[in-house]
Amino acid sequence: MKLLTRTNRFYLIFILLLSPIMIAVDYYIIRYFVYTEVNDILKHESERIISYAESENALLPSSYIDNTLQVKETYQLAPSFRDTLIFDSHFNKLIPYRKFDFVVQVGDEKMKVTVKHILLEAKKLILWLFLSTVFILALMLVGLFLINQKISSWAWGPFYRNLSKLKKYDITQKNRVHLEASGISEFEALNQVISSLMNQVENDFQNLKEFNENISHEMQTPLAIIRNKMVLLLESQSLKEKEFQWVQAAYQEVNKLSKIGKSLTLISRIENQEFTRMDSIDLRATIDNIIGNMEEIVQFKKLEMTAKLDQVKVKCDPILANILFTNLIKNAIQHNREGGYIRMQLNEEKFEIENSGQVLNTGTAQLFHRFQKGNTATDSLGLGLAINQRICEIYGFKLDYTHQDGQHIFSLFFRNQAE
Amino acid sequence: MKILVIEDNVELLHDIRDFLEREGNVCEIANNYESAYMKVGIFPYDILVVDITLPDGNGLDIIRETKKENIDVGIIIISAKNALEDKIKGLEIGADDYLTKPFYLPELNARINALYRRKVYKGSKEILFNEIKIKPERYEVFIHDQPLSLTKKEFDILHFFVANKNRLLTKEAIAEHLWGDHIEMADSFKFIYTHLANLRKKIAGLGGNDYIKSIYRVGYKFTDRE
Repeated sequence: MKLLTRTNRFYLIFILLLSPIMIAVDYYIIRYFVYTEVNDILKHESERIISYAESENALLPSSYIDNTLQVKETYQLAPSFRDTLIFDSHFNKLIPYRKFDFVVQVGDEKMKVTVKHILLEAKKLILWLFLSTVFILALMLVGLFLINQKISSWAWGPFYRNLSKLKKYDITQKNRVHLEASGISEFEALNQVISSLMNQVENDFQNLKEFNENISHEMQTPLAIIRNKMVLLLESQSLKEKEFQWVQAAYQEVNKLSKIGKSLTLISRIENQEFTRMDSIDLRATIDNIIGNMEEIVQFKKLEMTAKLDQVKVKCDPILANILFTNLIKNAIQHNREGGYIRMQLNEEKFEIENSGQVLNTGTAQLFHRFQKGNTATDSLGLGLAINQRICEIYGFKLDYTHQDGQHIFSLFFRNQAE
Repeated sequence: MKILVIEDNVELLHDIRDFLEREGNVCEIANNYESAYMKVGIFPYDILVVDITLPDGNGLDIIRETKKENIDVGIIIISAKNALEDKIKGLEIGADDYLTKPFYLPELNARINALYRRKVYKGSKEILFNEIKIKPERYEVFIHDQPLSLTKKEFDILHFFVANKNRLLTKEAIAEHLWGDHIEMADSFKFIYTHLANLRKKIAGLGGNDYIKSIYRVGYKFTDRE
């Protein structure tokens, strides 16, 4: 849920809870003031009547007087207020009145006088209060909503823009994210934290990359020397049978190490985006060329190879295209059984290579990981597919793998890449 | 031929020199930019083997300098970096070939020979080994002057063997020569074995000698010595 929606929701709940309380409070306050006002009017009128009676010895003809009653000399009455309903025949309904009883001496007569004043109708009052309150609250709500909206676009704008920048952030790309300044201290603090985090991550990534590169570069020269010396050892005829075997085994391992180094270097070079050429590659020619290079080993394994290749052009680096398809075809040859088959198909949408082979136990995802081998019996290093995966990531290709009963299918989808 | 090898690692430098001298070449060495620069300025070489990353300079500068003086020199770059820009740049400024470390010495030797032939004889030179005659630019082989029909890979193997006669060629070196860098194939050794058997048969069929000696589990040697 968006922060704005959540705040608005809380505002709404708050106002819904607040409105009855406001109405009640308003009602009692207004009632209090009305009563005080009416009391004052009635009291004042009573005083006027009393003073008039004292000076004029007559009853003031006041419109407030409700009724008068002659009482005995001994009658005692504390002046008091009371509420009452009086039926108004004109309106045909009961109307609330405030009454005030007091005693006045008019000449010789003692009289109980009742003055009255109309009160506001409670029901009406509450209704109007309710309506006006609701109206005011609604105005407030709309106002708050608009203000929030404004704040959101103004204050949260940089936040959302930064967020979308961060979403696009990819550490393997060399483009830095420049966070927009918002002038709001919380966001600035967040930006700072993110920036320093990114710096740290980038540094670590850079270090790791350099380490990878260096270790695969730097080991090549020593490996070359070791290898040369071993060949010299193997050439010298002074080795005993057993020693010869040891050197030979060591030689093989050195070769493996060197291949690993080369493959890792290739992977880091792909990740470093050293292959930036975007040529229009004729895939059919590329594949035909690779098949030509492998032809004899295909015959040697007695594989039945069929290729149905359309003319397809894809934009990518020629070296990477060559590596990608070489790896796929090489894989199909290597993990095949003798007398098996390879079927290739190339069209605008995809390249599909299908081969017979052993039943695999590895999952698809694992297969693309470095050093994952489908078959431990062979000497392959399992880096080929990891390299392919990297290449596919660069160009937005998708490499799928399925296998069933010893039939293996790699599908390479070009996605919008084909021209 | 006269070769200058420029490489900062002295041990590797000596390996290369020893290997090339055994092939009957005159091989000089330089392990830094300065001495290399001096040597190419004074002596004419047929082939330069240049490592790009030198402690005190860039091998590419040496290539530029050499090309100014002597346009005919053959240049092979050796580099541990296998960086594309280096390769493209090197070839642009006049290098002829590029090898990534670690390379097999027989591979370097074969490349040097091929380059030398291209440069000096414009590729027309035949390679002779007793009764075997190879015309590399036309992919033709003759045994006792009779044409030998070979597949592409058989031809490559034979050519590689003859270029590195009397040397131990490991199966790995042969496989890399045949299929290049990024291919490692379990089947390739079996393949080599079978094709060598075919090759022997074909050569014997035309009355040629069997010069291919197999060195137990390691590789092969092409030799007419016992």
